[in-house]
Amino acid sequence: MKIFIMPPNSLILYDLVERFGHEPLSLMGGLRERVTSNEIEAPPLNVTTDDVKLGLKYAGIEIPSGIRGRLAIYGPLIDEAEAAIFMESAPYSFGCVGCQRTNELAKLLVRKRKVPILTLDYPENEDEAKDMVVKIKDFLEALK
Amino acid sequence: MDKDIETRLIFIAPSSDLTPDRIARFVHNLGNEVSVKETCYGVVLQGPREAVRRTMNEVRTMDPNRIFSKIRAFPVGDIRRCRAHHGSRPGFAQLEKEWKDLHLVEKGLICVETGERPPEPKRRGRMPISDLKKLIDEVSP
Repeated sequence: MKIFIMPPNSLILYDLVERFGHEPLSLMGGLRERVTSNEIEAPPLNVTTDDVKLGLKYAGIEIPSGIRGRLAIYGPLIDEAEAAIFMESAPYSFGCVGCQRTNELAKLLVRKRKVPILTLDYPENEDEAKDMVVKIKDFLEALK
Repeated sequence: MDKDIETRLIFIAPSSDLTPDRIARFVHNLGNEVSVKETCYGVVLQGPREAVRRTMNEVRTMDPNRIFSKIRAFPVGDIRRCRAHHGSRPGFAQLEKEWKDLHLVEKGLICVETGERPPEPKRRGRMPISDLKKLIDEVSP
């Protein structure tokens, strides 16, 4: 099954989802075609002005264009998602406020789709890590 | 670029004895027609998707619970990301944090392997107001 992960570029979640036999829907997968095609006019920017318009499907016109641009990439992944895993309590260094707001909106869009969701926190000690991995495994096995 | 080409990051957990050099040599010896580049945290593989996945599975057998991987959007040596071309690494803070946590995830994987049911961890509470006050007083007495 296709599992949407949050943070969408998480190494831990990508690895665990793949390890337990599912397909992770990640930001890297969504960006791959964009950054390797010749249509990006101004590297290192990863979105085009058309993306900002495409983002209107997922966010209103009053939402900043940076968030809409990001949602143009996240949106199709969310539409494909059959389940999702969210990791909360990420350190501040994970991104700017724009990333954070996009993530909030993306989580709302996933919740609206009524797919099974597992919400966890980033582990801070061994017990939390064991609990996290076991919960992810149980969640993913129950989906099969 | 061909859609069938995949770029994959291989991370070695901090608790592992493996080195990026050892993995790179191992990949070269496999002869799977993938490019391999050493990095500070492991290696980057690039090549046809099937070959990269096969290689990753073989690399993982070296230390199954301490080798982790994810795909990467940017190709190897892309001038927008590669440090040799002064590229930016905006996601590095996240990679670094998650890499540091891999030794914890390893414990979780061992737990799954042995079928152990871990005890419910203590719920994290919010910071009491008195502690917050103390912090404020320290910064602005």
